[in-house]
Amino acid sequence: MNGFADHGLDESAFGESKAISAVKAFDAFPKTKPSYQQRTSTGGVWTLSLITLSILLSITELQRWWVGTTSHTFSVEKGISHDLQINLDIVVAMQCSDLHINVQDAAGDRILAGSALNKHPTKWEHWGDKRSHQLARDRGEQYEEEDVHDYLGAARRKKKFTKTPRVRGDPNACRVFGSLEGNKVQGDFHITARGHGYMEFGQHLDHNSFNFSHQINELSFGPFYPSLLNPLDNTRATTPNHFYKYQYYLSVVPTIYTTDARALDTANPSISPSSSDAANDNSALSWGSNTVFTNQYAVTEQSHTVPESQVPGIFVKFDIEPILLTISEEWQGALGLLVRVVNVLSGVFVAGGWCFQISEWAREYWGRRGRRDGALGVLSGRRASMDKT
Amino acid sequence: MPAKSRFTRLDAFTKTVEDARVRTTSGGIVTLSSLLLILWLVWGEWAEYRRIVVHPELVVDKGRGEKMEIHMNVTFPRVPCELLTLDVMDVSGEVQTGVMHGVSKVRLRPEGEGGGVIESKALDLHNDDPATHLDPSYCGECYGAPAPSNAIKPGCCNTCAEVRDAYASVSWSFGRGENVEQCSREHYSEHLDEQRREGCRIEGGIRVNKVVGNFHFAPGKSFSNGNMHVHDLENYFAGGGADVQHSFSHVIHHLRFGPQLPEAVAKKAGEKGGMAWSNHHLNPLDGTEQKTDEKAFNFMYFVKVVSTAYLPLGWEKKSQKNALESILPHELVELGGYGVGEAGSIETHQYSVTSHKRSLAGGDDSGEGHKERLHARGGIPGVFFSYDISPMKVINREARSKSFSGFLVGCCAIIGGTLTVAAAIDRALYEGHQRVKKLHQG
Repeated sequence: MNGFADHGLDESAFGESKAISAVKAFDAFPKTKPSYQQRTSTGGVWTLSLITLSILLSITELQRWWVGTTSHTFSVEKGISHDLQINLDIVVAMQCSDLHINVQDAAGDRILAGSALNKHPTKWEHWGDKRSHQLARDRGEQYEEEDVHDYLGAARRKKKFTKTPRVRGDPNACRVFGSLEGNKVQGDFHITARGHGYMEFGQHLDHNSFNFSHQINELSFGPFYPSLLNPLDNTRATTPNHFYKYQYYLSVVPTIYTTDARALDTANPSISPSSSDAANDNSALSWGSNTVFTNQYAVTEQSHTVPESQVPGIFVKFDIEPILLTISEEWQGALGLLVRVVNVLSGVFVAGGWCFQISEWAREYWGRRGRRDGALGVLSGRRASMDKT
Repeated sequence: MPAKSRFTRLDAFTKTVEDARVRTTSGGIVTLSSLLLILWLVWGEWAEYRRIVVHPELVVDKGRGEKMEIHMNVTFPRVPCELLTLDVMDVSGEVQTGVMHGVSKVRLRPEGEGGGVIESKALDLHNDDPATHLDPSYCGECYGAPAPSNAIKPGCCNTCAEVRDAYASVSWSFGRGENVEQCSREHYSEHLDEQRREGCRIEGGIRVNKVVGNFHFAPGKSFSNGNMHVHDLENYFAGGGADVQHSFSHVIHHLRFGPQLPEAVAKKAGEKGGMAWSNHHLNPLDGTEQKTDEKAFNFMYFVKVVSTAYLPLGWEKKSQKNALESILPHELVELGGYGVGEAGSIETHQYSVTSHKRSLAGGDDSGEGHKERLHARGGIPGVFFSYDISPMKVINREARSKSFSGFLVGCCAIIGGTLTVAAAIDRALYEGHQRVKKLHQG
């Protein structure tokens, strides 16, 4: 073996061992000694352009792999659910003491939301900033493709309601905000005036102080992620009428955003994750930071004046859909990427080789015709060389 | 060399004459390893081709006039069978008509004695069995209540059950049947007292119209009167002495809507959904246990039912037979067999559920830290299931992940790609080797 080492891989220098020669016999790739090979400048150009092309294609392939694929799947929600958290931040152009907030649900429970939510007196004029928009104005938004990372990023941001601006002068509006837990069943959330709609209060309020103009800063279900935008967020509705009824009909769709679909498989599926911040904190370990559970909703709105016999106010009726949406972003494995890149490279080279061959023939054909025009009957020696290569 | 034909010039696969070929060890190694790689990848492709995947589809349920089977197995360890009734109602509160059922009540030994089975008896929904051994001219008194319309003898209350019916129809409470001749003859109160400590299991299935509705387990004889649904609660609340305390603690062993998927099928169906499935996940209530010590306690389950079809591979070929089966009136299909197609296709239902419980005395949830949540007052103690039908339908369709031609294309791509890249590697090795050799020589 010393001799082998001295001569490096020089095979012609010595007799080889049997094993090596046996392996050698399997060499299926025909190589020709360099002396038989012909290099042409056109070939060089072709090689270079093919290399550029294959690099470009590989880069796009890599990019596609990097972005990943977003898949929307659905399933019927598993596990037994109990609670549904409602997050609300609404400004109503009435005095806080005149507002009466309640939730009534299909289970027969009534939630005295007024005591669970914070009420801050404020000025109506503070809240009319430009970002407010009417419901269903920008249609284009909903057709943009969702990026799971946007949602994950938004969910990691702070989970606090913004502060109420300081009031100068007399407050003429009320900001109601906070989270409350209801049953996860169909329900009705309503804001009415004191003494109207619920008998037990007894006190009657002057009809002229009714003004159910409102601005919804936040209305969401499930864990509170203020940065996730819901359809009713930052919407404003104003009316000059005193007896006016706003009705919103909401269909709540439980939704999971994840970049780690496999973690969902391992997570305990008998726990329905929708409920609340508190419950979610407990189960955060099992869900990980790559997964956000939230609830989207679809909304329709109607508003009209009501006669004095009816109850004016803001009514939000919500129902929960049984189908859970999972929006997951997945990456293919690195091996898959490798196979594809290899396929791209080889495809480009094989196809390029053929193109080169064909172009050579074409050149030869046209060249021969041209020569035939000039020098009659002279056969070129190129055919022989072609046979050899 | 054979004679050159016209096609010789077109040969794109130019070959090197044998004399000019060079075989190298590195080339051999590259060839062998690329062959192994090809074998491995082709095998993977084959496995991919043979694999059956389940494609879930979401469509709007277009079925009309369909039926739905509810299969249940629920144990109430502290309510005797004599007290327990099962009612199936539709959305307006009317007792559902045309319900096909095969539910049996199983008397269970008291909890303290291990809860073994005593006796199983088929339950007749909304209708109690008549007494037969009486004198034909006998006409029992109804004790002031109008005789029930379904009495064996019009205008008479010949059995204890009929007297109870009569009482229920005018919303009188019946109690233990003391001083009622029919009941003391049938030893109603003795039976009741005897069974006081027993539990009851309700098992079986009912077939209902596929509309929004509810079914509930509640104590006492029930009677529907217009919009009112009344249960005779006196016996339940009266209890049977100091040591017997009824309550609606219950264990749901099983609750499903429609036929059960075979276990293997359920597993497969879950693979693609992003979440692992099993039958347990299709029926989230299976194995639920709820306890209470309060008599007047109400459990509610809000169930949303989503139709689900499972279509196995090769289902289309036999769809002719399926069409025939679907024409068959549902009465001819045995309970438990509805929704099972001949080619293995299964029409069943999944459900999502929200549970809720409250004391009939009202009160709030301050125990759970939500004192702003007030429970409703009153109502009937019991376990209520209200179900709602979703307009969406899930179809799980089995399919091969690749067609045969797809498999061939994949193989060609693998072989071609690997060989080309291997050739390039080999070429590079060879050239490099030549360079090195030249360097050494020069």
